[in-house]
Amino acid sequence: MSGSNMQAPLLDSLTRRLAETPSVFLAEPRRGRRGQLEVAALVTDLLLTLGGDLLTPTQATAHTPRDKGERNRARLVAICCWLLHDETFRQRPELASPVETLLQSGLNELAVLIDAERFVTDLERREELVRRVLDWLGLCPAGESPHQAADRLGALDSVERERVLRATRARQEAARARQLKKQMQARQAREAAAKANREW
Amino acid sequence: MDAEFAARQDRNPLLDAAGWRMFCFLHQHPRAPRWNYQVGDRLLAKDLPALHAYRQRIIQERPRWQPDPPDWLLAWVERLLPKVPLWRERLPAGFDPRRDWVHIPTSCREDIASRIEQLVPQNAELSRLIVYETNGTSTGHALDVPNHPAAVALNHPLLEFALSRHGVRPRFDAQHVACVNVGSEARTVTFANVFAAWNNAGFAKVNLHEASWSRDQARRFFAEVQPEFLTGDPVAFAAYADWAIDYKPMAMVSTATMLSAELKQHLEARHGCPVIDFYSTTETGPIAYAGPNGDGFSQLPPDLYLEILDPEGYPVEAGTLGEIAVSGGRNPYLPLLRYRTGDHARLDPAGNPQDPAPRLHDLHARAPVLFRAASGAPVHPLDIAYILRTQSWVQHELLQGADGSLRLTIRPGLIARIDRQALRDGFDVLFGKLPLEIIEDPQLGSNRPGGKVIAYRREQSPG
Repeated sequence: MSGSNMQAPLLDSLTRRLAETPSVFLAEPRRGRRGQLEVAALVTDLLLTLGGDLLTPTQATAHTPRDKGERNRARLVAICCWLLHDETFRQRPELASPVETLLQSGLNELAVLIDAERFVTDLERREELVRRVLDWLGLCPAGESPHQAADRLGALDSVERERVLRATRARQEAARARQLKKQMQARQAREAAAKANREW
Repeated sequence: MDAEFAARQDRNPLLDAAGWRMFCFLHQHPRAPRWNYQVGDRLLAKDLPALHAYRQRIIQERPRWQPDPPDWLLAWVERLLPKVPLWRERLPAGFDPRRDWVHIPTSCREDIASRIEQLVPQNAELSRLIVYETNGTSTGHALDVPNHPAAVALNHPLLEFALSRHGVRPRFDAQHVACVNVGSEARTVTFANVFAAWNNAGFAKVNLHEASWSRDQARRFFAEVQPEFLTGDPVAFAAYADWAIDYKPMAMVSTATMLSAELKQHLEARHGCPVIDFYSTTETGPIAYAGPNGDGFSQLPPDLYLEILDPEGYPVEAGTLGEIAVSGGRNPYLPLLRYRTGDHARLDPAGNPQDPAPRLHDLHARAPVLFRAASGAPVHPLDIAYILRTQSWVQHELLQGADGSLRLTIRPGLIARIDRQALRDGFDVLFGKLPLEIIEDPQLGSNRPGGKVIAYRREQSPG
């Protein structure tokens, strides 16, 4: 993706756009009989605007959360649909394919970590999401070199920060799990304490 | 004697001279069953102020139903969220529990069975941790449930409250035996003890089984020890009647499985005391009690939030049957967040004139299942659970056909293999020679809401 013939997007206008996300994009994603927002329809609409194709049934199904664990991803996809409807991206057929893969799988890690609405309400998370989307599309914010853009995204990167945190936490939690296991196996713990009835 | 007294104080740190006399009275009683276990209450003086405060709180703060999670619960979730790895894994950073409460994934027994280290808060102090083993007789998981002696002691005032609603006010002092817990199993622990939470009043756990003592001995023990009230399950109370024990306590508190109206009436008529149905699990502690007018179960603790959920984990309309889920509780090692109990009921938000707390109706899914050995003798699910506990498994289902044959389906643990021969040997001891089919199914329960299985079932014989 060169993007060379595109006007460089203005970071501020895109973060402002996120801050002003209409409430309809923040509605509850539809799952079975619950929720109002058809995320697959939003994605289709966006891809057609970009000059892309309709979603296949399999792709459409992937945008319908199957359980509560997948709900946040659908919410994040809806917010990105609003962001990508900006005129900076509209009617750019070369973006249709990367946008499709971004929405299909490129947001998975982020959606597990951060509540989607934070990308609307929190200043830093707004900037992170805009930069992440631009980076995925091979675009640089106006006035920044690719190096500066990568540097700034690195500073905001929730996924990378979580990776570092998790590595530290994993060591602490493993030690803690060993300590807990030992304590639960200790003779004194197994003797428990008397209970006046068996079930409490 | 002094050395024994001092040694006993390890298990009962608040034991005094009067408490020690009560302990010795029970322990050395000539008609006592064979005591086979040592246990205390491990309560310390520093635990008592919280116990006294909770006793007052239960009376003053009756739970009231509200459609949304209460503020105290939300504050508690927010405080613990960074500390509980499993919650952190399931809720993304910035998740708003107030706005999105119903979207919080539910938890279940399997989380305790297979991921307990992810549930215990990272900053919890472990030095006083104790462990209860549950057999999973209703929902099919064997569990090790950690708890804290000070939290276990808070269950005493909850029981006192239920008793008082039936006009029963036992004498809680070292001159009286407050309670005897009755079992009726081939194998269980039996012990005598005193409870500091009840001013070192006496307590004993006994087993109405020929392996433990004789019927005559049991009759005389109860007559001489005179416990203020009894606790037990319907199977044990049926055995109490069957053993023709005439002692009349002030109350009988029934837990574990559904108490049939017939058995309740029979016991009340025979013993002339209220028989109180009490709903409690090892993972949650006491949840609700049946009031004197038989009008459902009223929520007991003020620090538990009850919901009735559909299979997907969303609240059902008031009055609709669904699965009981609880949040909150007092166990510092097991914070419960939308924990599915596996039991079902309808919730009536309004209380009754006696107690404004919300009530559960049609509480079920705890009906006891009695199996039959080749000889026709009854076999208690708890005894089967003892055999199953020797193996590493996640869930099981046992079905006894009308012809007596047994089919055991096991969802094995991730690493360990099932020792089929050990299972066969154990079943042979309990059932005699009956056909036994053992099936290992790694998917057992996975297609059902909350992974719930019906652990014990029996086909009725024709006619």
